[in-house]
Amino acid sequence: MSDNGKIGAALVVGGGIGGIQAALDLADSGFKVYLMEKKPSIGGIMAQLDKTFPTNDCSMCILAPKLVSVARHPNIEIITNAEIEEVSGEAGDFLVTMRKKPRYVDLEKCTGCGICVQNCPVRQIVYLDEEEEHIELRPEDRTIIEEILREYQTKKGNLMPILQKINKHYNYLPIGLLRYIASEMKIPLNQIYSIATFYNAFSLVPKGRHTIAICRGTACHVRGSMRILERIEQELGISDGGTTDDLRFTIQTVRCIGCCSIAPAVRIDGDTYGNVKTNQIFDILRKYK
Amino acid sequence: MREIRASRLLDDIRNEGLASLYPKERIRITVGMASCGLATGADVVYKYLNEIVADSDDHISVVPVGCIGFCQREPLLEVLIPNLPRIAFANVGSGKIKEIYNNLSVGKIGSIPADWRYDEDDFVIFGKKRKICDGTMPDGIKSTELYGKIPFFKKQLKIATRNCGYINPEDIREYVARGGYYALYKALTEMVSQDIIEEVKKSGLRGRGGAGFPTGVKWEICRKTKGNTKYLICNADEGDPGAYMDRSILEGDPHSIIEGMLIGAYAIGATEGHIYVRTEYPLAIERFAKAIREAESYGFLGENIFGKSFSFKISISQGAGAFICGEETSLIASIEGRPPEPRLRPPFPVESGVWDKPTNINNVETWSNIPVIIARGGDWFAKIGTEKSKGTKVFSLVGKIKNTGLIEVPMGIKLEEILEIGGGIPDDRRFKAIQTGGPSGGCIPQELINLPVDYEKLGEVGSIMGSGGMIVMDDHTCMVDVAKYFLEFLKDESCGKCTSCREGIQQMYEIVKRITEGEGEHGDIKLLENLGNVVQTASMCGLGQTAANPVLSTLRYFRDEYNSHIQERRCPALVCKALTSYVIDSDLCGGCTICAKNCPSQAISGELKKVHKINQKKCTKCGICFTSCPPKFKAVKIVSPVVK
Repeated sequence: MSDNGKIGAALVVGGGIGGIQAALDLADSGFKVYLMEKKPSIGGIMAQLDKTFPTNDCSMCILAPKLVSVARHPNIEIITNAEIEEVSGEAGDFLVTMRKKPRYVDLEKCTGCGICVQNCPVRQIVYLDEEEEHIELRPEDRTIIEEILREYQTKKGNLMPILQKINKHYNYLPIGLLRYIASEMKIPLNQIYSIATFYNAFSLVPKGRHTIAICRGTACHVRGSMRILERIEQELGISDGGTTDDLRFTIQTVRCIGCCSIAPAVRIDGDTYGNVKTNQIFDILRKYK
Repeated sequence: MREIRASRLLDDIRNEGLASLYPKERIRITVGMASCGLATGADVVYKYLNEIVADSDDHISVVPVGCIGFCQREPLLEVLIPNLPRIAFANVGSGKIKEIYNNLSVGKIGSIPADWRYDEDDFVIFGKKRKICDGTMPDGIKSTELYGKIPFFKKQLKIATRNCGYINPEDIREYVARGGYYALYKALTEMVSQDIIEEVKKSGLRGRGGAGFPTGVKWEICRKTKGNTKYLICNADEGDPGAYMDRSILEGDPHSIIEGMLIGAYAIGATEGHIYVRTEYPLAIERFAKAIREAESYGFLGENIFGKSFSFKISISQGAGAFICGEETSLIASIEGRPPEPRLRPPFPVESGVWDKPTNINNVETWSNIPVIIARGGDWFAKIGTEKSKGTKVFSLVGKIKNTGLIEVPMGIKLEEILEIGGGIPDDRRFKAIQTGGPSGGCIPQELINLPVDYEKLGEVGSIMGSGGMIVMDDHTCMVDVAKYFLEFLKDESCGKCTSCREGIQQMYEIVKRITEGEGEHGDIKLLENLGNVVQTASMCGLGQTAANPVLSTLRYFRDEYNSHIQERRCPALVCKALTSYVIDSDLCGGCTICAKNCPSQAISGELKKVHKINQKKCTKCGICFTSCPPKFKAVKIVSPVVK
């Protein structure tokens, strides 16, 4: 196989993207490859990323085909959930001892359907860091949150209304309160996060006293709402989504407030302004202190 | 048609409502107080009138109503003096309202020119017209044009929006007066669920949310699915930008939705209903919540409705600003408090929806059509419209058109006629395209102006009916920019579950953005088409499957514009910032210095009465000079020269 007369197999330690690529290259050159990984599955950090630097390519799009190739490659044997105990010998003749951790699943029979993960009762428990176990809330916050929880606690599908109530009261979702409701309602914090960050109406950072909602619906767009947005951004020195340092204004574009007939429209707090022109912006903003 | 027999209770409420709609002793003034009216100052008018009435006048009642649809002319005011036609005043500002009131208080109503008048009102539920006056009227009123002859209203047929702008949405008696809850009574007392479903099937009503699935068929499947608990949902997450018909019905006639849902619940066997309203419509949520409370207090909602063994309740779920929640499976996820990502269908919600129970979801406009279908019969409804698309459709006619507003027209009406209703393009510009169906739709060019509007025909030309937004575009709208706008919208609103949608739209956006910035390359168009096809084929829900439509349809009809951007590096519509610049025409400039004073970046130099000049390096292209240049000069021009 190789020119120095040494033949045999290769061990790749670590099943991240680097290990995967190394294993593939080796296996394609004809070596038998053992791909070893500490975690229960290969893929590593890259599987958790959205994009890769510097090309902004989708990381999963690069990784996923390689994962499949590794799994299907006749020359590659994947050993996961394992760690090296001892390495001895020399190049071409290594002896590796590794410890495979128990996984209590018959790998021959497992189809990877994931139902065991869903049904595992241990996953349903909320794990909080130790120092977070007792969440300190200001007394006034506690009264507010407890009142909201009392109203909705028993209702099905109560998470959205609770978040909306908190959002209405504070104008944003304070992290401490989210932790508190996670522990009170026995919902994993990450589930609350996934909701809180999905919707445009929620924010995890404080917002200004006045929210300038600039409609970016189609009718407003063709009637020049982009210029209105740019003008307001210029006037306040912040960009869309930003809040002025004095917490006076937050700029937030919205997708259609349904006032298409008087486009372009801007809504500040509860007041809607229609047929807005760039040279009116200054006078409109002046009304809000 | 059979006469609707009503219980005594209903007739009593109706009489009270009629007395309030057509008072015999008092003058009734109605003010259009939907969101669009409020934004143009209807609240000022309403407050002014109320203060006067509270102070002195007790023979006038001032009533807030919804939106009649002619939003361009808001604030709208209607005055009904006993035995005279009802007259409407448009664009009522604070000055005009004083004049109207002063004349009214001395009985000289005919002296102010009104915009149109009504001699009779259409009661579509009963299929009857009600005469408001006996025909004698002062000359001033007589010379006012009739409602039915105003070009904006002439071709309209109001079924879903039958009460919007006529009744006080917060007074259930006025809704009953116009035939409200009679259809429910008929359904509960004379029909079994199969009759109702048959009637809806016969009507040919199709889902007004966009996809156009036959409503009766959907109900039947839900009815037949086994299960003790069934849910009913009204989808009021009107996410399409440029569409606001649902908002208008919610604000102007909430009871029509409640009644439609009640009839649907009875037919399907549901006991609980949800309405999912977007958070961007605060007034709609408030009015609907009031309507629910009122319906409950009158016994239309709750236990044993009309003394029958039928019970139903409705609760409001509020969205939080996510376009994807209009998709039914993600709407259900949102109601349950899960992250609102769509899931694969089947199982369809009619089999397994909210909390895995059979769930029937229909759009606001669909629900509000139901009472009329039950009252008048499916056959009557099926006579309106085209072969496969029955009834009427509400469109929001907006964009570059003179009369913006909501119109309800029979299916099959030609685009040309819709443009006529809109009164043509303002500022003597040329019509270029009409965009239908929101971000999932497409742009229809001038050549297809004779197209009859129905579900099939719009599909054939690469667009969709959607929820009914129609955005008119003139020659100052850049189609590449429109495509970029929709891609930007969709890339933000894609939930990210499918790679093809999440990454595909992002890549398409970046290509189109590059084109609008003058960085387009040979081969970009081909690449866009390929990408578009992949996104269309490989995505799971409607958002992804239709995401490429705005790009593909503009490529289909406006390829020249893409080519000008790519090859000549110019934007023919003078929209794309990177390809245009502002200049001052030295022949026209009067040297008034207004532009220089207003320029936020001090890019304009010039002395009084001398020609001004824009420093292109400093110019941020904000357009303030263009808007502030006095009309007598019109010296600031936007240019986009060919770059080789």
